[in-house]
Amino acid sequence: MKKERKLGIARETRRYDLPLNKASGTGFLVLLIGLMTFLAMLALSASFTLSALTEHWSSGLENHVTVEIPAAAANDSVLTSAEIFNLTNRIDNILTNHPSVITTHVMSAEEIKELVKPWLGDDLLLNKVPLPGLISVEIQDTNPKSIKILENKLQEIAPKARIDTHEEWLTDLLRFTGALQFAAIILTLVIGLTTVTAIAGAIRSRMAVYHDEVELLHLMGAKDSYISRQFQRHSLILGFQGALTGVIAGSLIMVAIGWVSGEMEVNLLPDFSMNLGQITILSLLPFLVALIATVTARQTVLKVLGQMP
Amino acid sequence: MIRFEHVGLRYGIGPEVLSDIDFALEPGSFHFLTGPSGAGKTSLLSLMYLGLMPTRGLVTMFGQNINGLKRAQLAPIRQRIGVVFQDFRLLNHMSAFDNVALPLRIQGKSEKEIKNNVHELLEWVGLGEHMHVLPSTMSGGQQQRIAIARAVITRPRLLLADEPTGNLDDEIGFRLMTLFDQLNRMGTTILIATHDQNMIERFGHTKLILDDGKIYAEDPKHWLAKKIEGVF
Repeated sequence: MKKERKLGIARETRRYDLPLNKASGTGFLVLLIGLMTFLAMLALSASFTLSALTEHWSSGLENHVTVEIPAAAANDSVLTSAEIFNLTNRIDNILTNHPSVITTHVMSAEEIKELVKPWLGDDLLLNKVPLPGLISVEIQDTNPKSIKILENKLQEIAPKARIDTHEEWLTDLLRFTGALQFAAIILTLVIGLTTVTAIAGAIRSRMAVYHDEVELLHLMGAKDSYISRQFQRHSLILGFQGALTGVIAGSLIMVAIGWVSGEMEVNLLPDFSMNLGQITILSLLPFLVALIATVTARQTVLKVLGQMP
Repeated sequence: MIRFEHVGLRYGIGPEVLSDIDFALEPGSFHFLTGPSGAGKTSLLSLMYLGLMPTRGLVTMFGQNINGLKRAQLAPIRQRIGVVFQDFRLLNHMSAFDNVALPLRIQGKSEKEIKNNVHELLEWVGLGEHMHVLPSTMSGGQQQRIAIARAVITRPRLLLADEPTGNLDDEIGFRLMTLFDQLNRMGTTILIATHDQNMIERFGHTKLILDDGKIYAEDPKHWLAKKIEGVF
């Protein structure tokens, strides 16, 4: 009796009617859910970052145009720096008095040099090349017709002057980031679908392994919901464990990326940060994954049980 | 209470293992089901505990035609049936206590009620000191007693047992048959499939004889006469 107790005593409190917590492959499923959650978190973060990037670029250029006074005269002769300076000041004067213009900023030679430096390279070349006049203008009315009227007015002073609304390249850029965002969302959905498929497969496999036990419960009069609850609870725990691991790993990577991008000081990109809503969505991922795992388990179990008499 | 009319059963596209089964069990009756090995006793029991559905014929359980019921409506009927399986079908990851408590948990009984009833019954079948032991470490006889305790714990309206005393010594076997008798006196309908002619004679309940997939009259002489007729 003593020996029997030592060898065969039930050591733990009953948690399941089925030995699901001892099933092989449990660790693998947790790892798989963790990896999928990690990937989903990266994809969602990428989507959020692209959204911030779009916002950053759009808001930075909204109601802003740039007036360019090229260093070429109407007869294609090259203007001197003094002539360009003179034309720029006259145009700035017109813009300042225009009712639609809010502010203007005539860019200094130093600022222009800084802008073109990445393309033209060294200072020696920059000193030889005549620089155009550039005026950054904040404007109320960005209607293309009004812009064209203003441009014609400016061309009366400098025939080759033109107004750049940034619309052309910004549209392409926004289209590109939109496509990337869409790809990130599709990727998240594919990851979700893969997770659902993996969980459903694991549940089917467990139901096959414990077929006799499941059938016994069924024959004792257990309702389908009673049996499915066993699997739901199991999947809820595994899903939450895996997703939490994935979110923690993903958060560490996010912090690392944020730190690296901060170190790089890339002005074209916004700071790698998320708003409260986005952080909330990512924080809810473990709960969402656990919910998906639970619902998937329920549907799978009910479908398999439906084949029993 | 339980009525089979022209019931047939076949597995897949194979031949009928049961054909034209006609019988009725009155409430509170006690029957032995006997017959040669392979006659279809286990298949008949499976039909009775709704583990299988008939391929033809009409099965009425507790006044309900089960052919016309939806799946969800079968669960409450199964809860009124206790089954002792030939191979026990115990859950080896659970203690003896939890195995016996399982039907009560399925029926949503309170833990207090479960504890009292299971303790009492396990004491009665002589396993009071083995409540927290895993069945896999027990003898065949002990496992069988757990299986019987699990089948009767809910005081079912119908108790089906497939060779319930096969692995038990005479004393324990007699004690368990006495338990079945007591349950029967409390109104439980009992059908026991067995080869044990001594037990059948000792308790003297009505006999159903199953042979070649057909059920015969309760009179053994009639069955024997049919067999002789078939041979000669």
